[in-house]
Amino acid sequence: MKLFTIVAISIAVLVQSLAAQAPPPKEPKEPTEKEKEELDSGIPIANELVRKTCSPCHKVDDKLRLSRISWRRTTPEGWEQTIKRMISLDGLKLEPAEAREILKYLSNTLGLAPEEARPAAFEVEKRMIDYKYAANKDAEEVCTKCHSMGRVISQRRSKTEWELLIAMHRGYYPLSDFQAFRRGGPPQTQPGPDGSPPDNRHPMDKVIPHLTDALALKTPEWSAWSANMRAPKLAGQWAFAGYQAGKGYFYGATTIKPGDKEDEFLTETRYTRVKTGDVIERKGKAIVYTGFQWRGRSESGASGKDSLREVMFLDRGQREISGRWFTGAYDETGIDVTLKRIGNDSIVLGIDHASLPAGSAREVQIHGVNFPANLSAAAIDFGPGVSVKRLVSATPALVRVEVEIAKDATIGPRDIGVAGAFREAGAVVYDKIDEIKVRPQAGMARVGGINFPKEFQQFEAIAFNNGADRKPDTKDDISLGPVDVTWSIEEYTATFDDDDKTYVGTLDDNGLFTPNVDGPNPKRKNRADNYGDVWVVATLKLPDGKVLRARAHLLVTVPLYMKFDQPEVAQ
Amino acid sequence: MKHLRSVNRKAQRIENDVVALQGPPQQPAAAPHIPLGCSLVFSPGWEADRNGGTAGLCQPVERDLFDCHTGCFWPAQVPDQLNHAPDWTAKCAAAQKDWRKIDLVFP
Repeated sequence: MKLFTIVAISIAVLVQSLAAQAPPPKEPKEPTEKEKEELDSGIPIANELVRKTCSPCHKVDDKLRLSRISWRRTTPEGWEQTIKRMISLDGLKLEPAEAREILKYLSNTLGLAPEEARPAAFEVEKRMIDYKYAANKDAEEVCTKCHSMGRVISQRRSKTEWELLIAMHRGYYPLSDFQAFRRGGPPQTQPGPDGSPPDNRHPMDKVIPHLTDALALKTPEWSAWSANMRAPKLAGQWAFAGYQAGKGYFYGATTIKPGDKEDEFLTETRYTRVKTGDVIERKGKAIVYTGFQWRGRSESGASGKDSLREVMFLDRGQREISGRWFTGAYDETGIDVTLKRIGNDSIVLGIDHASLPAGSAREVQIHGVNFPANLSAAAIDFGPGVSVKRLVSATPALVRVEVEIAKDATIGPRDIGVAGAFREAGAVVYDKIDEIKVRPQAGMARVGGINFPKEFQQFEAIAFNNGADRKPDTKDDISLGPVDVTWSIEEYTATFDDDDKTYVGTLDDNGLFTPNVDGPNPKRKNRADNYGDVWVVATLKLPDGKVLRARAHLLVTVPLYMKFDQPEVAQ
Repeated sequence: MKHLRSVNRKAQRIENDVVALQGPPQQPAAAPHIPLGCSLVFSPGWEADRNGGTAGLCQPVERDLFDCHTGCFWPAQVPDQLNHAPDWTAKCAAAQKDWRKIDLVFP
């Protein structure tokens, strides 16, 4: 009994002392106006599958907003990449059908407005362009140390979300602190140019206010678009116009039919490669996200080998869809495509020889749709200085005419008219080729073929006339379109005894560069891989014997060992 | 330097340097071309070195690859050991010899 009393008293004293030590319960902190506003900007998730799938980790609040998810908007590709990360790193299990439904719901409910998605189109269209983010130097430096700025500008987030995104990067990739996020070197002691005190914030801290402001969750564009958004009505006939570097122009037509759901479509496309007359037929299907973002895939032939991914944007009037159809291990081969809805009117798509030399006569093919049956030469109009001599043949999609270009015709672009339908600047009249330029001016290829795939680079030579001022590289220079040239590779001397030219790869007659194989090369100094940088040189011999030369820089470099890609958005 | 004139080559070089230092700072060279998505800014970068070429890259890349992997030094170009590909080197002990066994990772 005595022992029991002692134990009981000890326990009582212990409990009391523990209670005395425990901190008082925290008063819930009242959120500030800004925090309240940010909280209110969250977008509710009405879809039950999304809530059920995500809620084990993402808290659902009383207004059906899911933590993190409701405060972010992005492209279908952005959401797909996140879903994939949830599967690969966070143990999410999903059936393909569920993933499709979730992706579509998130892309439609937490998507981008057309005005927001357009500037970031190069990212989803996989275009290799030089992009300069002029809005904020810090943001550009911090983000592009690891990836394209396109990933950033296709996001819209609240302030907390931007902070958490940076925190996520720091957690998954701890070295990014040293590479990008934190300031290196000694602190600044000098005041800024305007006399402000030295700014010693870390780059990541400088960037957050900019991102919160410039890429905000709540925008007038999204409010307007989401109120008006609907599944588009695309079924019907569309005129097809395409251009691919190295292959030239394609003209034809696409039939769009309704698919299984109101925002899904089936396509049949038939187009002609103008340069060779080859006809290509493709069958495909597509999903249109957020009312305007076309993501499709089409195949040609029975084997379905020649598969192209399609990323396009629908205009607000639902009369034009434009974007890029692409393939390749690095998505480097692509056609720029524009589809125009066919109504009752004629449409002029383009001609086979867009550049017309003054003082010559030639036969020209005009491609289009709905050309009238009883067409006469008088109904075809090439503008001043170009007379249509004879109508050779006419079908609803192709008209052949003989034209004569006057010797004194004023040089410059001409609109082409067929029975009242016009193609703006469809042809150009010129007197001589003054110079050529290689496009792209800076190309990139990656070695491959043994373990990793090759990245090819297509070059093309574009002819120019100096224009009315007769001076090169001025605003009035006239582009005469691609010309056939002789291609060669020259050394770009970067080091003593540079030998890149011997190893990097080959350039064919059509300007297509094929890189050499991957892996260390025992024949090279230091067993170096077959990479290097060289000049790609185009040479054009003119009829008068004059030789024009132009060149571009080509970087032949290492493979990517990891590929962030989201082809699933079209499936 | 108004009243002195250099008489030999060494003096000439000194004079050149002194004149250059007294003058306005020289313009930095035009920025190199940076391919889209390229991590040029690390020194050296992944696809291109700081001059926009390949002369400053690791040669061969396989010599340095696993360092990039374990330290996730190129998180957008090489799979990181920390999260995405902890077993990336399982089939390949030395990248310079076994580079044919290295997998391409789609995160």
